[in-house]
Amino acid sequence: MASRPTVSIATAEGKASGATAPLPSVFSAPIRSDIVQQVHAGMAKNKRQPYAVSEKAGEQTSAESWGTGRAVARIPRVSGGGTHRAGQAAFGNQCRSGRMFAPTKVWRKWHQKINLNQKRFATASALAASSVPALLFARGHRVAKVPEVPLVVESKTFGGALTKTKAAIALLQAIGAGDELVKVQKSKKLRAGKGKLRNRRFRQRRGPLVVYNPETDGKDLVKAFRNIPGVETSSVFALNLLQLAPGGHVGRFLVWTSSAFEALDKVYGSTTTPSALKKDFLLPSNSVANADLARLINSSEIQSVLRAPKGEARTKRGVVQKKNPLRNKQVMLRLNPYAAAYSKQKLGQTKVDEGKPTRAGDAFNKVLSQE
Amino acid sequence: MSAVTNVSNELVWQITRNQNSYLVRRNTGGGSQFSRDPLNLVNKHSFKAIGVQATENGGVAVTTKKAANPNKPAQNQVTVNYGPNAGNRKIYKGVASKTAQNGYRADLREEAVARVSAVRRSQKAKKETTPRKPRGSKAVQAAEKAE
Repeated sequence: MASRPTVSIATAEGKASGATAPLPSVFSAPIRSDIVQQVHAGMAKNKRQPYAVSEKAGEQTSAESWGTGRAVARIPRVSGGGTHRAGQAAFGNQCRSGRMFAPTKVWRKWHQKINLNQKRFATASALAASSVPALLFARGHRVAKVPEVPLVVESKTFGGALTKTKAAIALLQAIGAGDELVKVQKSKKLRAGKGKLRNRRFRQRRGPLVVYNPETDGKDLVKAFRNIPGVETSSVFALNLLQLAPGGHVGRFLVWTSSAFEALDKVYGSTTTPSALKKDFLLPSNSVANADLARLINSSEIQSVLRAPKGEARTKRGVVQKKNPLRNKQVMLRLNPYAAAYSKQKLGQTKVDEGKPTRAGDAFNKVLSQE
Repeated sequence: MSAVTNVSNELVWQITRNQNSYLVRRNTGGGSQFSRDPLNLVNKHSFKAIGVQATENGGVAVTTKKAANPNKPAQNQVTVNYGPNAGNRKIYKGVASKTAQNGYRADLREEAVARVSAVRRSQKAKKETTPRKPRGSKAVQAAEKAE
């Protein structure tokens, strides 16, 4: 096996510091977007608050059905007189001022249980996807000027040294995330619908997620970053799938502090050594050692055991104009192999030569003239 | 960072074919799919169509990707600029050799040259059309006016 891949650590100015860190094993975890999506769908439901209509809504009259014989529907009707409400239908979901159909209840199943191992799998998967530039671009992150993915910045930049938002913005711009910040700022839009009234007035894109190690980097950087639109911070020990794969789409742009990056092997372990912090957790292993399908198919090992294709050589014709075989001889020959011999012998032009017809004979004439 | 074995073009395509910030889908045109990827030559959303680009800025800019260090986006692209006064054939030659040589994307050579051609055509100044000579009754009116 080749030497373990390494990642260079950038300085606060975005230059290579010369130091490198070995790539933690999480980044070679299988990228399973289906698992990420499923776990994300469950996790996204777990912060919901119950809502329901009032238990009494639409049931607050003493309506009784009039029964049959009054030439009106048997729906319960409001009793009494003296007001317009008397005699009007009540209770039913089809009635004005009736209750709704199947009134919502607070005991609806709001939360989803997700298997712990699946959650861990999804997180590892999302982390692995965050190291693929193509997936970052596909998520819409503007990372064209970023020196390297995964992006690791020296921890000495943080560690109590970074306390002001101004410095935090300067840092992000230096490491090539300036375009990303502009994108987030420009994306701020008024939300469509009622959410505007429910404290979700604006919607905007997500920017970079800064992952730090609270033990060495401290927590001052959280305050430095928190007022930059779109930028989020997370401790490496409490990574959340909702932040790693917003919307269930893998490939979030992560900015690692070097100590957080180095802590990853401790947090997730590898496929053979269990994680030091998560109980009973081994990283999932890839079901295919080499994901490059084209290389696998074209490898001499596979190609040497394939049998030759059956049948005659035939070019597959794509979307072409249909030719009329009656006018186009080549097309006719392709369809009808006999056509060549047929035209060569001029069978189409020869007359059916059977000589002159013979007379019918006496017997026939007798019958004809009814003799 | 050298390549990790758990990622390949095939895998990336499977993940991005349905969720992609560059993807443009319309119901018209039989559910057409296009790509806004600046590196996509034919603007079609497909596994294959990733490669060279020709953009307009007075001249033509040709961007290619480097095979080395795929994990360093800032160093991964090479742009060759042709000024507005460069000859068309010179650009075609440059683009064709850039695509087809050194095992880049020989299959995209024709499309790359076609795109350069389209860009150059769009940059041409529009010709002034001469105003049409009036005929018939309008000609009579114009003649009267001139007198």
